[in-house]
Amino acid sequence: MTSFFFRLPLMQRFRPVAALAGVLFATAGLHGLAHAEQPPSFVHDGTLTICTNPTLPPMTFVKGQDVSHPEGYDIDVAQALANRWNARLSVVTMDFTGLFPSLSAQRCGLVMSGIIRMPSREKSFDAVTYQDTALVVVGRKGTPSLTSMDELSGKNVAVESGTSYITRLGVVNDALVAAGKPPMIIQQYPTEEQVVQQVLIGRVFAFVSQDVELFYRMRQLKDKLHVLITPDIPDYRHFAIYLRQNPQDLTALQSAVTALETDGNLQALRTKWSVTDPSTGNEAPSTTSSAMFDWAAFFSALTSTAFLHGALITLSVALISHFIAITLSVPIAIVLNSPQRSVLKIVLEGYVSLFRAAPTLLQLLFIWNAVPQFFPIFREQWFTPFLATILALSINESAYQVEINRAALSAVDPGQELGASALGLSRRDIYWRVIFPQAFRIALPPTINEFINLLKITSLASVISLQELLAVTQIQVARTFAFTEYYAAALVYYLVMVFFFLFLQKRVERRFAWSDRKKVVSNAA
Amino acid sequence: MQHEPTSPPMISVRGMSKLFGEFVALDRIDFDVSRGEKIVVLGPSGSGKSTLIRTLNRIEPHDSGTLTIDGKLINDKTDPIQLRCMVGMVFQNYNLFPHLSVLDNCILAPMRVRRMSRIEATTLARRYLNQVGIPDQADKYPIQLSGGQQQRVAIARALCMQPEVMLFDEPTAALDPEAIVGVVSIMDELSEQGITTVCVTHEMAFSRRIADRIIFMDQGKIVEITPPEIFFTSPKSDRAQNFLNQMLRY
Repeated sequence: MTSFFFRLPLMQRFRPVAALAGVLFATAGLHGLAHAEQPPSFVHDGTLTICTNPTLPPMTFVKGQDVSHPEGYDIDVAQALANRWNARLSVVTMDFTGLFPSLSAQRCGLVMSGIIRMPSREKSFDAVTYQDTALVVVGRKGTPSLTSMDELSGKNVAVESGTSYITRLGVVNDALVAAGKPPMIIQQYPTEEQVVQQVLIGRVFAFVSQDVELFYRMRQLKDKLHVLITPDIPDYRHFAIYLRQNPQDLTALQSAVTALETDGNLQALRTKWSVTDPSTGNEAPSTTSSAMFDWAAFFSALTSTAFLHGALITLSVALISHFIAITLSVPIAIVLNSPQRSVLKIVLEGYVSLFRAAPTLLQLLFIWNAVPQFFPIFREQWFTPFLATILALSINESAYQVEINRAALSAVDPGQELGASALGLSRRDIYWRVIFPQAFRIALPPTINEFINLLKITSLASVISLQELLAVTQIQVARTFAFTEYYAAALVYYLVMVFFFLFLQKRVERRFAWSDRKKVVSNAA
Repeated sequence: MQHEPTSPPMISVRGMSKLFGEFVALDRIDFDVSRGEKIVVLGPSGSGKSTLIRTLNRIEPHDSGTLTIDGKLINDKTDPIQLRCMVGMVFQNYNLFPHLSVLDNCILAPMRVRRMSRIEATTLARRYLNQVGIPDQADKYPIQLSGGQQQRVAIARALCMQPEVMLFDEPTAALDPEAIVGVVSIMDELSEQGITTVCVTHEMAFSRRIADRIIFMDQGKIVEITPPEIFFTSPKSDRAQNFLNQMLRY
């Protein structure tokens, strides 16, 4: 094995240490000592971390309710690799578009998510092939097969966004346009099951996927899908594991995969997940074929721990972020409302403008994927997606909240401050006893608006792998294809949360009787 | 506290000036107010009357000159809270706190600043609300009261701090004639109680009745300081004569 040669000089120099390490591995190892190898550098502290987007059965998907534990062929291969290196496997789940940025930011050692080996990706990352596949174009049952990709001219075709299929279809489109034919209309969707759904509901003519995923979907969706064409495109014949560029790590991973292939491990997993043969393997959960609303699926989603957990994450992220945002925004608003120019004021004006202008999604991606490249502390274990989301949303929301508070504070009659200070009240009392209670009434409705918005904006955090309500819903939909039922369940959760806060707003507003002469009179009557 | 006739003036102003940017709002003002004296400040709009009385409790700090109240030099080292415990103020627009009931408006400062207990402060507040003639409105919110009633609350609120000096900044300017009568009669009563008062107003009859001396201002300067019986019959300056002619025409 190639890795052996890299390791040899080191072993000779530090023989006693290496021997001791061997003993430690032997005691700590979960699986056979026979496989123990020096782990590659992307294995940290005895942990192999992989990034995956678990919406791609049978490669990587969530079978049960626990969205933090994806399963599938990729996950089992990752586990086999971890065993070889006597490492613990840690799986980080996220949106597809977040996978490669996370690899760059060293949030994981490997990306394993049923991704095609592409020369373009190998400019930035190393890749090791572990599974053969083929590109397929799939339509609804009953659609006649195609003889050439050109026949897709002018048709709607769905693809998963962030994948290499888009580039590939672009090549086909260029050829179509060059030949004077209309190009395909390419629709991109963030998850694979949504791509499939577009064909099922007849919005698009076909979708592009890999045969491996299709085998699984075919069993799941029984007779609803049909392969239109398997174009012979050499670039799309392999799935690869991606890693950061490092020749030693690449060699180590290659030899590990080769070893798994040689000892029959991979073959066993292929059979287990029926990766190569659509007719065998464990049962995929099939969907109810009728178009009717499946109340049982709806209620089971509604009462599932996965949804409840997702909703709690959504709610706590929104509550904590908004609390921090309000705490930050009040002093900022006071400084910005003061008539004096100061350096502090200019800095704060810049802060507010910047974070109002930058898209929230961009801020999330920036904090999660870009900041760790400058400050390594942010790639450590404690900086979870939960914390990162709270950090991003607190900053973002504080900028909006500053504007609300500024408006509310300036709406309070300046005579109030004058009257209060003429009575000898301290600055603190003037704010807390006189100005804030009046500004609060004005700020409350727009603040509740902001909170409701924030509650929904948390769904953006699925790109940095936060398992909030909508991410949970999508992962569950990918498993079951019960779109309507699961979306409805998510909607119920969102509505319940929002209505609770609207109710709270009404209750609080009722306490502002002092602001409305009519209300005061009718209450007194 | 001293009460001998030789006691120093309650308020003493020497060479006081106040600028708003380039604009000279107060130009080297000099005057004294004796303990218990009633001063009415008259003058056309923009003459600096309101600015003058706002410097007396440092809501507008003066730029130069000296201000002495009860023998203490007042400057930026003075604790503003102590000063305002001694000098109460009533505004043209009442400036009541709309989110607090009438009673809570009155007891807020005594409790927060004078550290009175709620019971103590409430007893005091009820006494002054009674004095200004609205004992039944204590639990209402300011928005439920008429303008005249609101101004009475503002007077009671200021009195609850038991100040030695009361400043009135055009207290009747926003009121209808009927309400003016009510508020003026309360101020008459107060003047009988011997509290040192500086009042900016356009109420000529009231000025003549209660003022010990009239300060007439124009363009940031004091033009004359004279007893009312002289001021209203034979003012020394032409500007005061013109002002009176204009006021009496209506």
